[in-house]
Amino acid sequence: MSQADHDRARDKAARLLKKQGSVSSLASSEARHGDKHHRLETTSTVSYMDEPGHEYHFKPPARYENTYQTEPNRRFPYSVVKNIMQDALDGYLAEEKYEPELCRQMSKTLSEVIKARVKELMIPRYKIICLVHIGQLGDQGMRIGSRCLWDQNNDTYASSEFRNKSLYAVASVYGVYYE
Amino acid sequence: MDDFQSGEETAFVVDEVTNIIKEAVEGAIGGNAYQHNKVNQWTSSVVEQCLNQLTKLGKPFKYIVTCVIMQKNGAGLHTASSCYWDNSTDGQ
Repeated sequence: MSQADHDRARDKAARLLKKQGSVSSLASSEARHGDKHHRLETTSTVSYMDEPGHEYHFKPPARYENTYQTEPNRRFPYSVVKNIMQDALDGYLAEEKYEPELCRQMSKTLSEVIKARVKELMIPRYKIICLVHIGQLGDQGMRIGSRCLWDQNNDTYASSEFRNKSLYAVASVYGVYYE
Repeated sequence: MDDFQSGEETAFVVDEVTNIIKEAVEGAIGGNAYQHNKVNQWTSSVVEQCLNQLTKLGKPFKYIVTCVIMQKNGAGLHTASSCYWDNSTDGQ
């Protein structure tokens, strides 16, 4: 449940509680009917009213000591990332023909997908930057180059290409160690 | 890394960097038409020039500079990026 939903549910519970209190003396069937209906709705949320400070996710902010760790425990897994990219490119583009709107959307989707899958590897302390270029195959020349200012020992990148009859795609993922 | 610097001097200022990039592209390619044998050199000099200027800013960042040069013939090209990083310090 998001925070907004959570708050809304809590407000609702508070309002319903007040309502229930005000109908107490009126014992008409209609009121009771409404009452019952409300009670059904509130059963799951009322508990928040009792001890609003004791929510399960409340924790005091933890303070950690410095680790004095200067190198990653686990290096950026180049080949795994490369496979992820190749899979994603093959899977999403194998049957596609170049269309501007589709490829505009596809480039965004692919970069999100690849980033998400690399993120799932849970490589601690690495930031991920994922770039995807998709272009139409024509007779044009093109060159993609990149240069980085970073720590050669810990930072790395992987890149992967794909082409079919009507389009090509180049994906690159940069893994930057957070110092 | 705990560094206790903050503020404008160490922040990633997009406009500043945009200017650097514009100048680098202008300087390397300018009014030239696409020449197959020059493109290699152009890409290198664009990224090189950008990185040079970026280092001169003396900010505590790692930089990734990419450059795509494509011949104009009506073919489409789409580029997208997504990043997993600290939005409060990092930028593009």
